[in-house]
Amino acid sequence: MKSRVPIPLRKLIEDKQSVKNKKQQESLNQSENPNSSKTKNQNQNPVTSQNRSKDSKNHQTKLISPDLQYNIDHIKKTLGNSSDIVIRDFQAGKNGEIKLGIVYTDGLTDSASIQDLILDTLMVEIRNSDLDVAVPDCFELIKSHTLPVGGIVEITDFQKLFNHVLSGDTMLLMDGSPKGLALGSRGWVDRGVQEPSSQTVVRGPKDGFTETLRTNTALIRRRIKDPNLWLETKQIGEKTQTDVAIMYLKGVANDKTVSELQSRLNRINIDAILESGYIEELIQDEVYTPFPTVYNTERPDAVAAAILEGRIAIMVDGTPFVLIVPALMVHFFQSSEDYYQRADIATLIRVLRYLSFFLALLTPSLYVAVSTFHQEMLPTPLLISLASQREGVPFPAFVEAMLMEVVFEILREAGVRMPRAIGSSISIVGALVIGQAAVEAGFVSATMVIIVSLTAISSFVFPANSMASAFRMLRFLFMILAATFGLYGIILGLIVMVLHLNSLRSFGLPYLAPNAPFILQDQKDNIIRMPHWSLLKRPRLISKNDTDRGDVSPPKPPR
Amino acid sequence: MKKMLKVFLMLPMICLSGCWSSIELNELAIVTAMGIDKTEDGYLVSVQVLNSSELAGDARSGRTEVVTFRKSGATIAEAIRSLSTDVPRRLYVAHLREIVFGEEMARAGIAKPLDVLSRQKELRSDFYMTVAKGATAYETLNVQTALEKIPANKVFDSLENSDKRWAATRTVTLDELVSSIVSKGRQAMLTGIYVYGDPESGSKVTNAQNISPKSGLRLDYLGVFKKDKLVGWLNRNDSKGVSYITDHIKSTAVNIPCEGEQITVNTTSSKTKIKGEVKNGNPKIDINVTSEGSIGEVECTIDLTKPEKIEELNKRYAKNIRDKIEGSIKTLQEKYQSDILGFGEEIHRTDPKAWKRLEGNWEQEFAKLDVNVTVTAKIRNLGTISDSFQKEIEE
Repeated sequence: MKSRVPIPLRKLIEDKQSVKNKKQQESLNQSENPNSSKTKNQNQNPVTSQNRSKDSKNHQTKLISPDLQYNIDHIKKTLGNSSDIVIRDFQAGKNGEIKLGIVYTDGLTDSASIQDLILDTLMVEIRNSDLDVAVPDCFELIKSHTLPVGGIVEITDFQKLFNHVLSGDTMLLMDGSPKGLALGSRGWVDRGVQEPSSQTVVRGPKDGFTETLRTNTALIRRRIKDPNLWLETKQIGEKTQTDVAIMYLKGVANDKTVSELQSRLNRINIDAILESGYIEELIQDEVYTPFPTVYNTERPDAVAAAILEGRIAIMVDGTPFVLIVPALMVHFFQSSEDYYQRADIATLIRVLRYLSFFLALLTPSLYVAVSTFHQEMLPTPLLISLASQREGVPFPAFVEAMLMEVVFEILREAGVRMPRAIGSSISIVGALVIGQAAVEAGFVSATMVIIVSLTAISSFVFPANSMASAFRMLRFLFMILAATFGLYGIILGLIVMVLHLNSLRSFGLPYLAPNAPFILQDQKDNIIRMPHWSLLKRPRLISKNDTDRGDVSPPKPPR
Repeated sequence: MKKMLKVFLMLPMICLSGCWSSIELNELAIVTAMGIDKTEDGYLVSVQVLNSSELAGDARSGRTEVVTFRKSGATIAEAIRSLSTDVPRRLYVAHLREIVFGEEMARAGIAKPLDVLSRQKELRSDFYMTVAKGATAYETLNVQTALEKIPANKVFDSLENSDKRWAATRTVTLDELVSSIVSKGRQAMLTGIYVYGDPESGSKVTNAQNISPKSGLRLDYLGVFKKDKLVGWLNRNDSKGVSYITDHIKSTAVNIPCEGEQITVNTTSSKTKIKGEVKNGNPKIDINVTSEGSIGEVECTIDLTKPEKIEELNKRYAKNIRDKIEGSIKTLQEKYQSDILGFGEEIHRTDPKAWKRLEGNWEQEFAKLDVNVTVTAKIRNLGTISDSFQKEIEE
């Protein structure tokens, strides 16, 4: 880090420091001023802050001046007199000689706590005490004795000041003191913990992540009360300064994966992170693939389970979607409900998911291939009924299939983006106009409508939307292959797809594990979900440190 | 950049190649039955093509469900090609259900037509071969059938059904037919079909509108081949006898006499073991039949509760089967000298050396072959009533 600072600048800093140190030495000699050690710290701060943000502008790294009025003017000027920034200066103390100023952003702060804990304390209760400017180091006294606020951070430069103020903290400045206190008062209108809209379950917890990072981390903490659950937060985004937290179980998660993730996050140099999708695209292993190698979920229980398997959660402030790495292909076929339902039905449902995976991917292409290349494969009665429906349809089967699939994608996209109130009209237009009328008019065969609906319904079976999108895209590719080469083309396409899947890695792990490479031990929780008393090992490739989950024997009736 | 260029050059190879062998469903004429007749200078090929929009869907216009086209040619392949002047779509034979040979054609020899059928790559081999008894193949393809809209399906299903429940007919596929024609120790047999009633009204769409159709297709019994030529027909009992010998009985009905009336036994299982041996240069065949059945119908006043009566019925049941078997062997030996029963193959299996000597004149050897028939038959149950109530009526 230090080497990055240009040499003249470093020299300048060192010079400054040595001068200051000398001065301090002198002052120390003169009187035993407890403030001196703080001043030293305060002087060291610009070094780190300058090092950290090499591109930041001059006024942001500027130190807080002892002149309160100057500080307030500077804040006002920098923020362009924005109306949501509240600046309040007042006199406190017995005689009203202590000049204080508080700065906070209206809307991001909890106004009750500012009222009760900060303003009330500083303006009213302080009068009963003997606090005065004359009291040495009264700023320190305020910090350690007066303020009933949990999170207090001492700030010496304006960049941090703005960072705290704009994150919802309240800044306390005092005339005559070249530093400020950032008082934790964050609190804004929040959606609250609601049921996740993208991944619903019949059985299982109904709480979902919200847009507030702190709420989200709390939802995980509530589930895993282990001191090894570590949380690291950093700000990413030059302009947005978005809080990005990574959460993992120390000792269970693979340390190499953690450090790899940290280095990938450190590499991000971008002005804005508005959603976890930004992070996902910036840290994934393979760029040119339709398949997701980072899992995202709205469900805290899914994240907790992943963390317990040794995976790492990445939480981004401002979105309820939490990322999980490493993400293997099998994870996208698993729903958290699989673990809450009985093992037998969970297994059957997983089989159903794999079946619908093939249906969603291949139904239209198989129809095109069989009906234009391999008619002999169909049973005669089926062939007759298909042929009778094809009578009078003006398009080849491929064009027909393409047409209907595109129409379906349009309907689907419209349904998602449409305002709720007119959303129902989409289904009427879709079902009646496109479905029924097109068949009656003879533009498309009824079979095609069945095929498209089957595909559509199958694609909604996936618990993970990102995987379903991959198949949405590949489906069209397979249709082209089917129309060109028939079943031969589909098989070629599948071979290429499997080869591609084999080449994928998610944070170093083979994407198809535990199927390729085949791991016998992990088959207990792959297509089959064994009962919990049998799932006593963590997935082998993900965590190598602490693989034992417990030691339970299967329940038995009493003798 | 070079890589991208390569990809772009390869792209047209995929796209421009087009769908070279693809064909849309509505460009196909699905052939369900094919008839082959002999003409003076070649063949007359008739194909029964499905009119699929009349068979399924709701856009029916009252036309016939199947259309039969015919065309003659010096060879069958030529005739089929020339059918394209009649049929507006590509003839698609993968879904063929039935092939009919006219009787004249069958008597003249079917080896040549079988060549084109075996050579054709589109044909699946799951259709059945039949002979039009006393008619041309075209005539049998020219009849509307009731219940089953596709006549070829009617023949196909009837063959399967009667093969299972009546045992006097036989389903024969192309490969079975070819292998028995080629084999020296076995001759071919095919089931005959014929048109009953008035063929003229049978071809009309209104034929199937009668509750009792004026005309239709019916299965006859087995036709006996010698090499590839039809030599004659077996009657009902002989056909059943053949099925017993070749262990082809799944179930059937057997009538046995009782006090001047009849009792019908439904054979529910039958197992036949054939053992061949050559003794002193003379081939000999042992047939061992084990049959079980239940009483299906009683017309006499026999007391079925008595075990000795059942024992007696068992004997008569066995005798009936033995009579059929011996009758069919006699007919085949004396009338046709054709070994459709595969006795030659059995001798071949047990004594290959002797077979080499016998092979040359197996026809004569078969005619004087010594066949020993043993039948064990048992009645296993009486149905839901034991004694017939006819006795009570008479009293």
